[in-house]
Amino acid sequence: MTEIDHRDDHFALLGLPRQFDLDQGALTAAYRELQRSVHPDRYAGKSERERRIAVQKSSQINEAYDTLKSLTRRAAYLLKLSGHSVDGSNTSFTDSNFLMQQITLREELAELEGASDPEAALDAFYRDVDGAIAEHTAAFQRGFEDGDYAAAKDEYAKLQFLEKLRSEAERKEGELLDY
Amino acid sequence: MLMQIAEPGQSPEPHQRKLAVGIDLGTTNSLVASFRNGRLQTLRDAAGEQLLPSVVYYGENARVLVGKEAEAMAAADPANTLASVKRLMGRSYNDVTLSPALSTYDLVDCGEDMVKLQTRAGALSPVQVSAEILKVLAARAQESLGGELVGAVITVPAYFDDAQRQATKDAARLAGLKVLRLLNEPTAAAVAYGLDEKEEGAIAVFDLGGGTFDISVLQLSKGVFEVLSTGGDSALGGDDFDQAIAAWFMQSVGLGELSAVERRQLLTACRAAKEGLSDAEQVDVALGQHLLSLTREVFNDLVDPLIDKAIRACKRALRDARLSHDDIQNVVMVGGSTRVPRVRERVGQWFGREPLVDIDPDTVVAIGAASQAEQLAGNRSGEDTLLLDVIPLSLGVETMGGLTEKIIHRNTTIPVAMAQEFTTFKDGQTAMAIHVVQGERELVDDCRSLAKFELRGIPPMVAGAARIKVTFQVDADGLLQVSAREETTGTESQVQVKPAYGLSDTDIADMLTSSYAAAGEDKEARALREQQVEAEALLQALSAALLADGEALLSEDEQKDLLSKMEVLHQQKQDGSAADIARHIEIVGAASEAFAERRMDASIKKALAGRQVDEI
Ligand SMILES: Nc1ncnc2c1ncn2[C@@H]1O[C@H](COP(=O)(O)OP(=O)(O)OP(=O)(O)O)[C@@H](O)[C@H]1O
Ligand SMILES: [Mg+2]
Repeated sequence: MTEIDHRDDHFALLGLPRQFDLDQGALTAAYRELQRSVHPDRYAGKSERERRIAVQKSSQINEAYDTLKSLTRRAAYLLKLSGHSVDGSNTSFTDSNFLMQQITLREELAELEGASDPEAALDAFYRDVDGAIAEHTAAFQRGFEDGDYAAAKDEYAKLQFLEKLRSEAERKEGELLDY
Repeated sequence: MLMQIAEPGQSPEPHQRKLAVGIDLGTTNSLVASFRNGRLQTLRDAAGEQLLPSVVYYGENARVLVGKEAEAMAAADPANTLASVKRLMGRSYNDVTLSPALSTYDLVDCGEDMVKLQTRAGALSPVQVSAEILKVLAARAQESLGGELVGAVITVPAYFDDAQRQATKDAARLAGLKVLRLLNEPTAAAVAYGLDEKEEGAIAVFDLGGGTFDISVLQLSKGVFEVLSTGGDSALGGDDFDQAIAAWFMQSVGLGELSAVERRQLLTACRAAKEGLSDAEQVDVALGQHLLSLTREVFNDLVDPLIDKAIRACKRALRDARLSHDDIQNVVMVGGSTRVPRVRERVGQWFGREPLVDIDPDTVVAIGAASQAEQLAGNRSGEDTLLLDVIPLSLGVETMGGLTEKIIHRNTTIPVAMAQEFTTFKDGQTAMAIHVVQGERELVDDCRSLAKFELRGIPPMVAGAARIKVTFQVDADGLLQVSAREETTGTESQVQVKPAYGLSDTDIADMLTSSYAAAGEDKEARALREQQVEAEALLQALSAALLADGEALLSEDEQKDLLSKMEVLHQQKQDGSAADIARHIEIVGAASEAFAERRMDASIKKALAGRQVDEI
């Protein structure tokens, strides 16, 4: 009987090697190819049941793609697959550079509300936080590829923290600019 | 050859061509389009009109007028002439009265439920009013295509939330239309545009209609339309431009309260003035003895704050797509309000390139929907398009202290399923309330409440021991369904997220029964016919699938079992009642479930294998 062997492994589902450094083009191409065969729209004329199964399969492929597309989520996923806990909630950072970076970003975020031009202030914040995310993503990759899981986990915790600040900004943006 | 009949994407025999349409159910105008005489086109009424004004008039003696004729009654009887009801879909009284719009009809406060409109035909739901518009379009289509429709693709603003989408689907159901798909308006526009231009790369669709604004960023590649992000405002459009002019007029001439008739007159005058300013530099606005001249400059100042809102949404959509201005190859303008020169100018400025205004902004959405309808009905062979859309607003649940916790983030590709575990906080607790909300804000009160439901029958355990897994499934229409399961014992409960603003199944059934009665139709006969058609479709699909993959994917016993159940269904189809047939459809469906799943897994494998061969 045919069955997907690694139901839970997003890399296997998309037919990609299990590594941090993925070819974005190959990822997208594999994703689209799979959706072409399972997307519910392909089963529009089929029974209720088949359509339900298609919705489930298609969701599964979307989840895999969504996880691997984002570098931060991909990092978390790889750590999890290699048996490392990724709950960074009670990590305390000792890296003084990061502490500085974090304080600056926090200040920037706190000043958004009072800014004379909140749109410009938001733009600046996103630029800075995205810069920091790129920097720590690269550091994560070095650690992970060298098998230095302690370093990789540490960098991941930082990424998680930065992503939290980013979504905090998104939330404030909604309130400030009234979406 | 035989076995290919049921393969997705294969075209059936020409005489089996199924009639399906795309419907753009707009705030101001609605349209229906289909594949006819070898091309996709909008369908016209007897008078040759393609746009049907989205206006419904409820007259004496249960007379209902839709479109132009209804519009003509607006001045004389505004209270019974309903326009722009799309803005009320899935909305409560408080939602829609918070904005100080000049309303020309009476709204009924139904508390948490969807607002209603008071007419001489009673208090009507916006769903019922929309259904009247859909009925007219469906009738127009059946007439010009010469047969019964198998279904329709109905477009909705991309920024519509779950309640608004559900309301639209309910309206179709009420109009007796099968919804093949709810399709986002900008995505439909992109399809029509992309098919024409065969373009590859990232585009932005800027859709400013009568009542809603959407911005979608899409990646186009070899027939795949992947929405990267979407944003907008489901209450921003040409109507607001009219309102802005009206407010200016009233203030300038010092007008106080207006009667409903005057309000309608003023809004009509303002709309005409606005449209006039798209060509002229200056126009007159008149109400009774008051006359004012409106220049384009003043008008631009009036609408700039509204355009600002739209531009901010564009900015956020680009950021969510992780793209910059330079990555966008083209900006496609859709919707009547993109005819306003100031809108074109500002959008062009912001994106740093001339927006495309040469496609017909009125019809492009309906044409795209028709294209998708044609494919979903199974009429198209080869060159299939694949539409990958996103959920516009985050879904979450209420947590301690009235805060929201997001479960599915906005701009996640759909369909999507996410599971979340909850636990009990009291010893022996057997029930638990879950409140599902949609929106980006932190406080539950600032988000849209979609449903509150209670999970019952949790086995009594010590606090924190139960593990209740709640799964949120959003389908390709953007509609949410929630199911819950207690993991330690496997107690399952299904919850359909509907209530809050939707109509219950009994509501719909009641409305349908009365509409059958009105049409003098036999409900029983109709139900039987529907079941027979469904049974036939199931049997045909399964036979083809068995021919293709039966040997490979099923054991001999499994095949025999399935075939014998199919045989019974075949018999029932001929002699059984609607209920009998339904029961056997269910039996065959259940027996074929594993087969269906194996077939899908096999096609995934095949797709993967195909890729790996390609790469070598
Ligand atoms: N020449 C014009 N200049 C300015 N505005 C115009 C012009 N023509 C149409 N409009 C406006 O466009 C709006 C209707 O656009 P459209 O038909 O695209 O909306 P819709 O599809 O009904 O609404 P929606 O998509 O928001 O549900 C109206 O507000 C109308 O006044
Ligand atoms: Mg429209």
